[in-house]
Amino acid sequence: MAGEYREYNYVAADTIDVSELKPLDPETKQIMKSEFSTGIKLTLFYYVFILSIPILNWYAGEFMFSRMWGGMTYSWFFTSIVAMAMAFVIAFIHTTLYEKRLKKNETEQSSAHADGRRIG
Amino acid sequence: MSTFLEPKFLLTLILMGTIVYITYLTKRSATASDYFVGGRSFGWFTNGSAIGGDYLSAATFLGIAGLTYQLGYDGAYYAFCFSIGLTLLAIFVAGPLRRFGAYTVADFLAYRFHSRRARLAAVAVVLAISGFYAAPQLLGAAQILSMFFGTSYEFGIIFTCSVMIFYVGIGGMKGTTLNQALELWIRLGAFLLMVGAAIWGGLHYQDILASINEFKGTITGTASFTADGKDIPFDGSVWTGTGNYFPSFWQTISMTIGLSLGTIGLPHILLRFYTNPSAKAARRSALMAIGIASVFFLFAVYLGVVGRSIFLTGEADPAVMKDLIAGGNNMVVPSTAQALGGEWLLGLVIAGAFAAVFSNLSGLFIASSGALAHDLYATFFRKNITEKERVIAGKLSIIVLGVLYGVLGLMVKEASIGHLVALAFTVAASTFTPIFILGIWWRGMTEKGAIAGLVLGLAASMYMIFFKTTLPEFLQFNVPGIITVPIGFLSVYIVSKLDRKVPSDVNDFMKQVHSKESEAA
Repeated sequence: MAGEYREYNYVAADTIDVSELKPLDPETKQIMKSEFSTGIKLTLFYYVFILSIPILNWYAGEFMFSRMWGGMTYSWFFTSIVAMAMAFVIAFIHTTLYEKRLKKNETEQSSAHADGRRIG
Repeated sequence: MSTFLEPKFLLTLILMGTIVYITYLTKRSATASDYFVGGRSFGWFTNGSAIGGDYLSAATFLGIAGLTYQLGYDGAYYAFCFSIGLTLLAIFVAGPLRRFGAYTVADFLAYRFHSRRARLAAVAVVLAISGFYAAPQLLGAAQILSMFFGTSYEFGIIFTCSVMIFYVGIGGMKGTTLNQALELWIRLGAFLLMVGAAIWGGLHYQDILASINEFKGTITGTASFTADGKDIPFDGSVWTGTGNYFPSFWQTISMTIGLSLGTIGLPHILLRFYTNPSAKAARRSALMAIGIASVFFLFAVYLGVVGRSIFLTGEADPAVMKDLIAGGNNMVVPSTAQALGGEWLLGLVIAGAFAAVFSNLSGLFIASSGALAHDLYATFFRKNITEKERVIAGKLSIIVLGVLYGVLGLMVKEASIGHLVALAFTVAASTFTPIFILGIWWRGMTEKGAIAGLVLGLAASMYMIFFKTTLPEFLQFNVPGIITVPIGFLSVYIVSKLDRKVPSDVNDFMKQVHSKESEAA
């Protein structure tokens, strides 16, 4: 809720070897997995688009710098128009999928509450 | 007409008056939460506008159009790279960061590892990035004042720092957020009017690009404004192609990596997600900011092309032609506004440029103030500090930062705003980006790994920026992201793998930052 704040002061805490770490609880694991999977797929798609522009500019320059609309070349069009729309589209898909998952989670909400970490 | 009734004075004074009014209305910061994160009360629209205001600095408002005007396609490519980062931030960091919900960027590390050393390393990096970012913003403000109000560069720096000390020191995060949101819409309005005026004037994107591309020769009427007394030569086909600024494929890729990953590590942007009431609102804020930024970048590139087109015809007012040459690439937007819409549009653009500078600087001041007052003073020197004392420390640190950033501003008089900001992005991409991505998504990250990532990422990026010429030629990158970002990520990964000592309660941390919305909000 707005205004709620927990003070995050330094408190000494133990460390353990990473091999002794207990597995994450299934619910958090499932949330992380599903969020990461969506994020990484969208990011990979986005980066294929992002990196294809410089690759094509340098290795298929004749095509990329040929005109497609008036004085606008393919390269100029993808860099300064399509890319700007692409940033929003990717973020929009991500937010929509997240809110869908959230809605689903809310309907299946368990009564368990996270207490957070003990910080002294 | 009296000088103070000229549009540029009038609109700038109205902007200043509005800032003072908003600051006055929001001056009461009773608690540290009010001062540092605005009481976490801002919804997605206000915070989305403020994130946009914070992100779209003078580098965007003035720098991107200027770089496009000067470099052509490579300048447009700059805008493209800047446009990527917010999307990645929205995907991987915005929601979890809000669920964590502290005051400062360094809080994240301190809490993740229960570590003072990690907090200290984070403070150093926050100050380094903010300094890199603040200096070009001050440069932009001083140049505008100097060019359009006739003041000296030094006066411009002192004036802007004084406004910032007042605006952030009194208003805190509440005043800053509302001012940033308002300032964003002023800039968007200025850009919309400029784009409208350009299209109304027949300067259609595809047509002017065609005429620029076909132009080859000297630009008539420029001789009297150049140092050598000759008209400026120009080759349109070179301008519309690549290789003007980034001479090789790898230079281009290096910048793409540095800029695209830099946004995730910008302290003043990260901080903004703490001010939302929930993780859902944080994600929506990010989405709104991305929408606004996309429109802005599109307009900025188009206006850079319009500026070049006006310059090439040589038909603009001699004063405008002089400004387009003498003002350098940073002043293309005001000069183009004057050519398109006369004194009133120029006045609005000048007010918009100040809005851009103030908006971004205020975010940097708040982030750095948190680092100094909350992370350094309250953690290391006054452990039992009261809420009131914490707020006072925050306000006093604004004065210290005003002086510090002012000195930096004086040192970068001749630099390009866009390029300096690109370097700040590289430092952020090489330091905080690995920490936040791995810290949120990988349980195996250790305290030593995080500190190694911060220190080595910072050292590598600083060395490659300041001592570029000492490196072999193939390592001399204009924006060295291709080397420094992997150094940051690999340092965290390798040292964590060797160290293996993770906090015993890391599972609780993961549960907190990835829990269901209803549990965390």
